[in-house]
Amino acid sequence: MRYTAFTSYDIVLLAQGLGVSLALFLATTIIGLFIGSVWAVIRFYRVPVLTQLVTALAELLKNSPVLVQLFLVFFGLPAFAKFNVTPVEAAVITLSGNTAAFVFVIAVSAIESIGRDQIEAARVFGLSRWQILRRIIAPQAMAFAIGPLTGLLVNQLQVTSLISVIGVVDLTKMGNILNLRTLKPFIVWAIVGALYYVMAKLIAFAGAVLEKRLRAHTAWKGL
Amino acid sequence: MISARGVRKSFGAATVLDGIDLDVHGGEVVSILGSSGSGKSTLIRCMNGLEKLDGGRITIDDFDVSRQKELTEARKRSATVFQLFNLYPHMTAVQNVALAPVEVLKTPRKQAEAEARALLDSVGLSARADAFPSQLSGGQRQRVGICRALAMKPRYLLLDEITSALDPEMTADVLGILAKLAREGTTMVFVTHEIEFARTISSRIVFLDKGQLVVDLPTAEFFAADGGLAMPRIAQFLSKMRKD
Repeated sequence: MRYTAFTSYDIVLLAQGLGVSLALFLATTIIGLFIGSVWAVIRFYRVPVLTQLVTALAELLKNSPVLVQLFLVFFGLPAFAKFNVTPVEAAVITLSGNTAAFVFVIAVSAIESIGRDQIEAARVFGLSRWQILRRIIAPQAMAFAIGPLTGLLVNQLQVTSLISVIGVVDLTKMGNILNLRTLKPFIVWAIVGALYYVMAKLIAFAGAVLEKRLRAHTAWKGL
Repeated sequence: MISARGVRKSFGAATVLDGIDLDVHGGEVVSILGSSGSGKSTLIRCMNGLEKLDGGRITIDDFDVSRQKELTEARKRSATVFQLFNLYPHMTAVQNVALAPVEVLKTPRKQAEAEARALLDSVGLSARADAFPSQLSGGQRQRVGICRALAMKPRYLLLDEITSALDPEMTADVLGILAKLAREGTTMVFVTHEIEFARTISSRIVFLDKGQLVVDLPTAEFFAADGGLAMPRIAQFLSKMRKD
């Protein structure tokens, strides 16, 4: 009986799992945001060959299941390229790539949403393409993208749970272990679910705060 | 000097500019009149390099706008004010005005912003200097647009129907500023439908019709009964515009 009890130490274990999930989420978000943005800039400059390459890659990544990509990296890379990856490495590679693909799509549409007339004005005043990107397009594109981006990141947080299948002891894997030991699925999974929920809410909240700040210029302050 | 020689431009099958020759010398105010679709705005867009020429040549102080390297110099010497203002919506009035001086002329930011405030003050906008475009009226936005152009200390101002989107009262505000600039000797190419105003500030009037330059006359001659008015196309245009 004692072995199946839910103890306070199990809370510590769940917190550890939560830490792993959060660390993976943050790392892959930062890498994904960076790579996706670089791809979008490549497209903005219409760099020959590279543009087609990143567009095709993004298409592949966002139209196939993350789990399949994860298996491909974790089992496929060692078999095909004789390149061994640890579960954590496979998780970082796969989730970063997946986030990058969606960031790319959001960034491209955000860049294209900026009115042509202001870009013409900036060109006429002699700003270079890079200056226009940095001073005119990027600040507005960010305000435009922050909503979809927040939605994406909330989703990507949930997607991190997939890595539990290749043995990374994240929150879901920890839940699985505790579930098998305590045989109290309702309690364990309710706690795990609640933890994901709270994290997702925090991400959404941060996104909303940022959005409000980035959209300051569109808020009417007449009264 | 802005010089256009044999400028041709077409969009698909439509020929918009059909061999335009025009010179604008320093200190002149040249108004370009013509009905909608006559090619007035396209001519301005060719002068500032927003449209590629299909033929002919435009130079600004001998810098050819069709050559990428020279275009940068040409653009430093000219500044455009747009019909629909084209302000940067995420920047305040001051930031709108100071952006190009900081980025292109490499003016220190503090100095550029001080100059921007002085310019905004000169058009009666000192109280609105920190407002975003969405918080300004059309007339105020266009005054910011004018300041943004003046901040580059251009030799030539290109004005593309800058009062077309404004009501009469706001139009009067904006035209008042232009009259002042004209008195100060600013060189301007002024595409407009404001015939009477063009008459008061212009040194020359150019009339475009179907992409061709029909007349290029000193203002007094253009409006004289035995000058421009003797031409049926111009007489018809002027009587129509005055009725509206």
